Amino acid sequence: MIELDGIRHHLLAIPWLALDEGTIAVIGANGSGKTTLLELCAGIEVPQRGSVRIDESEPRSCEVGWVCEFPDKNLLFERVRDEIASPLRFTFVDEAGIADRVARICDRLAISPLLERRTAGLSGGEKALVALATALIVHPRVLVIDEADSHLDAAAAQRMYECAREVRPPHLLFCTQDMHRAAEADRVLFLADGRVGAYGTPDDVFFALQETCFYPPLWRLARCA
Amino acid sequence: MRLTLAGVRLSRGDWHLAADAAFGPGIHFVAGAVGSGKSTLALIMAGLIAPDEGSVVRRGIGSATLSLQFPESHVTGATVEEEVRSWGLDTAEVLGQTGLGPKAAMPPLALSRGELKRLELACVLASKHEVCVLDEPFSSLDCAQKRALCKRLGERTGGITIIFSHEQHILPAVDVLWEMEGGRLVCHGRVPGALERWGAAAPPHIRWAIARGMLPANMRIEDVREAACRTSG
Repeated sequence: MIELDGIRHHLLAIPWLALDEGTIAVIGANGSGKTTLLELCAGIEVPQRGSVRIDESEPRSCEVGWVCEFPDKNLLFERVRDEIASPLRFTFVDEAGIADRVARICDRLAISPLLERRTAGLSGGEKALVALATALIVHPRVLVIDEADSHLDAAAAQRMYECAREVRPPHLLFCTQDMHRAAEADRVLFLADGRVGAYGTPDDVFFALQETCFYPPLWRLARCA
Repeated sequence: MRLTLAGVRLSRGDWHLAADAAFGPGIHFVAGAVGSGKSTLALIMAGLIAPDEGSVVRRGIGSATLSLQFPESHVTGATVEEEVRSWGLDTAEVLGQTGLGPKAAMPPLALSRGELKRLELACVLASKHEVCVLDEPFSSLDCAQKRALCKRLGERTGGITIIFSHEQHILPAVDVLWEMEGGRLVCHGRVPGALERWGAAAPPHIRWAIARGMLPANMRIEDVREAACRTSG
């Protein structure tokens, strides 16, 4: 469980919130605090007031994988192979083990053809997939995907989330503007102006949002027909 | 007014791009998967990349602009207000329109990604260039902002607007539909007839309508809804 207690951080104001294990979709308008919340849960930011605990530990003591909204921020190495292998360079995995894990994660994400490419020459969507592979290769306790599907087509986004769910990190937190994607999560957290607008199952949260544009558009279509 | 891609060819290793096309006044929508060459073609159209072969011919076009996929790439101002001014625009008007007035003194990169995208798109569209190339304009925007952008695009008259996008749900009304297929730019024709030729990569609501024998007036979800409601009485 991820527990946020007495959080005041920039525009975020969350008296208390407990996020269940599993897949959590964080939704809300631009500037509502989604990325700030994810940064707190990932230990990238420390709250100005209050605390965040992941299974009773500090976020910074947990292995965290982060796929950011702007994929260039994730990429540090010139070659895709080196980029994906980079987190393992700081562990005791030998070269053969690194090569094997790189090959397996690339196979899962169907990005093996990119391995020898230069990261700078990738499309935005390809960069997001490489960032995901780099995040997943360390088997993170918390995997955060910050709206990376903004830069993926429907098939690539589907592949990204399927792969992330298949690896089954205890906590998968993701932001998205695709409400159908959010509806596939175990729980949905809706933020409005830095506050919790709703938290619960997708059916419950979207029922509460049915008069807003956050309601999944195809659900409305089906209702009409 | 016409923008023509005459025998445009570009190669990067094993990857090849080919485009032979003419874009007249109206709104053009170019769909395509990740890595299909949409952003590269947008850069070629804007004159920022030279093709290996062929040329981009602009007839009757005085000015053109490009909105890049990642809004950070546009930033030159130290504050939101300076950023708007750097486009030569009325800051009060743009800040009022975007609702970013209270954040005028903030550094642009301190905005959320969606807010920055909203700001840069507002500047691009307010610049009133005759050709406006938009690379993934919907990415990072929330649903309300996507709807506002669709409305804004519908109000743009007289010029050539070319939208490169993989957006699947909140779409604008457009005139001509194109698609990148295997590195080649393919024209599906004018909407609505073109919707029937879009195929498997079409947004789910378009596929849903076509599978039921409906031809919506355009590609917006409300067009499909209207067609569905009309059919079901």
